[in-house]
Amino acid sequence: MIQVQNLSKSFQSIKAVDNVNFTISKGEIFGLLGPNGAGKSTTLNIMSTLLKSDAGRILIEGEEIKPNSEACKRLIGVVPQEISLYDELSAYENLLFWGNLYGIPSKELKESIDETLELIGLLDRKKDLIKTYSGGMKRRINIAASLLHKPKILLMDEPTVGIDPQSRNRIFEVVETLNKQGMTIVYTTHYMEEVERLCNRIAIIDSGKIIAQGTQRELQELVQTKENIQLEFDFLSTDQVAKLSQLLPYKMIQKENQLIIESSIKELSSIITASNQLGLAINDIQLQKVNLETIFLSLTGKQLRD
Amino acid sequence: MILKILKKDMKVDFADKRGILLTFLLPIILITLFAFSFGGVGRKKSAPRPSSLLVVDKDSSKASQDFIAKLDAMPTLKVISLDEEVAIERIRKGKNTAAMVFGKGFEKAVENDSRLPLEVKYDAAREIQAQMMLAVVRGRLMHNFGDLNALNKVNMRMTSVIKETSNKPNPGLVQAVAGTAVMMLLFSVAAIGGGILDEKESGTLKRLLTSPVKPVHILLGKMGAAMIVSVIQLTAMFVFAWLAFGLPIFMDTVSLILLILSISFAVSSFGVFLVSTVKTRQQLNGMSTIIIILMSAVGGSMIPISMMPGFMQDIAGISVNYWGIQGFFDIFWRQLPLLEIVPKMLILLGIGLGMILISIPLFKRNIVKFE
Repeated sequence: MIQVQNLSKSFQSIKAVDNVNFTISKGEIFGLLGPNGAGKSTTLNIMSTLLKSDAGRILIEGEEIKPNSEACKRLIGVVPQEISLYDELSAYENLLFWGNLYGIPSKELKESIDETLELIGLLDRKKDLIKTYSGGMKRRINIAASLLHKPKILLMDEPTVGIDPQSRNRIFEVVETLNKQGMTIVYTTHYMEEVERLCNRIAIIDSGKIIAQGTQRELQELVQTKENIQLEFDFLSTDQVAKLSQLLPYKMIQKENQLIIESSIKELSSIITASNQLGLAINDIQLQKVNLETIFLSLTGKQLRD
Repeated sequence: MILKILKKDMKVDFADKRGILLTFLLPIILITLFAFSFGGVGRKKSAPRPSSLLVVDKDSSKASQDFIAKLDAMPTLKVISLDEEVAIERIRKGKNTAAMVFGKGFEKAVENDSRLPLEVKYDAAREIQAQMMLAVVRGRLMHNFGDLNALNKVNMRMTSVIKETSNKPNPGLVQAVAGTAVMMLLFSVAAIGGGILDEKESGTLKRLLTSPVKPVHILLGKMGAAMIVSVIQLTAMFVFAWLAFGLPIFMDTVSLILLILSISFAVSSFGVFLVSTVKTRQQLNGMSTIIIILMSAVGGSMIPISMMPGFMQDIAGISVNYWGIQGFFDIFWRQLPLLEIVPKMLILLGIGLGMILISIPLFKRNIVKFE
């Protein structure tokens, strides 16, 4: 349904998006996972026609999207990272305003507002001013404002930033319901647990480049391991890590006095023996199941929240 | 600790270089403006620009023409000879301040050493300027006739061409209300225009642009809102002037409504123009203060136009304030028919249209730009 081909965008000397390629099928929830500044929002801004790319193109149902294309804007719903609502208006007034911009007939729009408010669980608060809402409630209205014209594609830019777990769960439920109704969703976040829960396929983006993409299983296979062993030492120098890697044939990532070894629990005894051989005092051992966080770490050598 | 806070604040304050530049530019522009206004530019005192004095020579004699030539030779006066009707019409429309009418029998009176038939027709709204011109003429008369008693020979009758009637307001009141109203309106619309920057900061502008709305729609929508506020504000100010000072706002309601609409259009387009030229609040504050004070000073909101130096009167037309204030004088003081006020309204609409056309590309370049 959506094809992003060789997309690039620079701001002065900074390459925000660097030759990005991915394809999203109809009815998929596609996650764009990466740390802050990775290029997720820029990619989404180009997809939502706000920004013009320097190179590459985006096709939706085979049609190339152009900046400010009205047809494209009607096809897409955008949930911005910011809470883009008018505090001085009620939820209903806000939704009425945003819906009116799409030229939805009055009766149809009012029905759509009530349906959407019910979906996000705020129908009973529709007459309250936005400024009286909690952060989580505002986030839900922020999503509702993008749904009134019943878009086929929903672009969600970090829709859960700064909210409590309860509200976050509510948003997950909304996303899942929308997807069940057939909506294709592009979801950017730097929370790996969100993409793990919601997304069918994931692209990991860092410094403007897609470094891996696929289903969670495909990404796990990419790092060819099932577990990570995290060791914490009193002191750990790079020399010691180099010596340890001569003794152990596993990929290692050092984070100060911590060492993450891509291995399995079966190899733990040999790892402890090798550490003892080098005189390294182990303070703590943790076994990590491979998840997107560890995959990201393995691929980039840095953590998602860096 | 204090130094650390000071250092941080300096860094933050000076981060917006364009904003800082505008902050420094404001006093520089004001100093320059007032220096020119008070003739304080240059080491030597600059020569004043001659005031235009209309002359109607009904005597058409050698004596009257000689005297007119002497008046014209004075550095402080620029004599324009016209028919009486044309001269009066020019004063009535606010184009000139006064006309000196040389009555029939001027030459004879000079020969007979009797009272000279001279009359001054003037606009009472510009009495100070008229008196200043008259003082120059009196000086010339004394010089010409060689003795101080000459003045006794001059029957210099002063007649206002705009008759003061019971329903006509004091020109000072018109100046005060019109001057202040237009200036305050500019400040209001600058603040409303700033709402676009708020929308950008809050993210609502981004959402607007992802909907089927074009940037020009946003600009015109904001301008429309500013125009409605301007109409309400101007109306409220005039209603207040009516209630508090008896300004007869129902004297020519149609002209007043049309003028209020024209001013509101020009002023609200000025608001969106301002916000389209900047990128930050600091820049908007600096830019709006500079332009509003400049336009208000040049356009006659602060000092009546007639009391300004000549070059400032020449450039007054660039200001929305000027056309607005003159329009109100046309209605309340000169009591001109609507058709004669329409050109000023058209100029205001033209200024507004021009500003919109300039604002559209600037808005796209400066405001509708995301990273």
